[in-house]
Amino acid sequence: MPVYKTPKSIIAPSGCCGGCGHGIIQRLIAESIEELGLQDQVIACVDIACSEWSLDCLDYDHIAGPHGRIASVATGIKKVRPDKTVYALAGDGSSYVIGWTETTYAAVRDIPITMIVVNNGIFGMTGGQMNLATTLIGDKTVSSKAGRRRETMGHPVDMLQAIKTFDVEFAARGALYDTKHIDETKRFIKKGFENQRDNKGFSIIEVLSPCPTNWKLDPVDAMEKIKNENEKVFPVGVYTDRGGNK
Amino acid sequence: MAKAKANTELCKGCRLCVRACPRHAIIPLELVNKNGYEIIEIDQELCIGCGMCYKTCPDNVFTVE
Repeated sequence: MPVYKTPKSIIAPSGCCGGCGHGIIQRLIAESIEELGLQDQVIACVDIACSEWSLDCLDYDHIAGPHGRIASVATGIKKVRPDKTVYALAGDGSSYVIGWTETTYAAVRDIPITMIVVNNGIFGMTGGQMNLATTLIGDKTVSSKAGRRRETMGHPVDMLQAIKTFDVEFAARGALYDTKHIDETKRFIKKGFENQRDNKGFSIIEVLSPCPTNWKLDPVDAMEKIKNENEKVFPVGVYTDRGGNK
Repeated sequence: MAKAKANTELCKGCRLCVRACPRHAIIPLELVNKNGYEIIEIDQELCIGCGMCYKTCPDNVFTVE
């Protein structure tokens, strides 16, 4: 029988709310890194927002950059320390709205870093404002009280379709609403670290994650919402996999 | 046979494990831990050690061995 134990890299409980997907994502990152034996050479870059909880939680060298600029911070670190494994953990607000330029140009430069984007469809830590790229039509947030309307507030965009066109190494989207999709997400994240180890190119993994506190839902209902609503707009799967052929 | 063990001091009462358990072996309780979150209990008779609770738990409550 397989044995399941908390990875050694997790040294403290995270401060996230109950039912938050960030805890699962942190565990998947720690498991992938330990399975590849890279734990002594990791430099983790975390963005301002809920991804910052991994500063206390994970036993790696960390740096927290300015909000939205984490892809540029990771690019800089990888340029001066190419022997290190550099990953960027950021939310959808910072990667797709505030820091879309930085994310784009890290992808265009094809820097061999692993970027993990937590898509919870909302600006979580600031209290649940609408996210232009990922909030679904009709979702009620602090800044769209009557629900998001297409006419005045635009529509959600599948940013991985855009990143795909920049000829990156690997782009994929995973979800966390059941164990099958958690296992699939772990395969994507591990693949991202393998690509970096083999110096192949830019890997981005987006994860559909719940934010029960700001969605004002029970954690179990939040997972059901991802399954029934979010996944219809943001399909799960591999978007591009170059396989090392630049 | 492997069984799940729970360190309920880490639990945040989200009940994702209750949803994920294929054998309905995880029982939600009204009892609270030190942090004030409602915790769970594992029925060791029903547990088959599949690790679904470990995989879904965001707070690393479970160990299966």
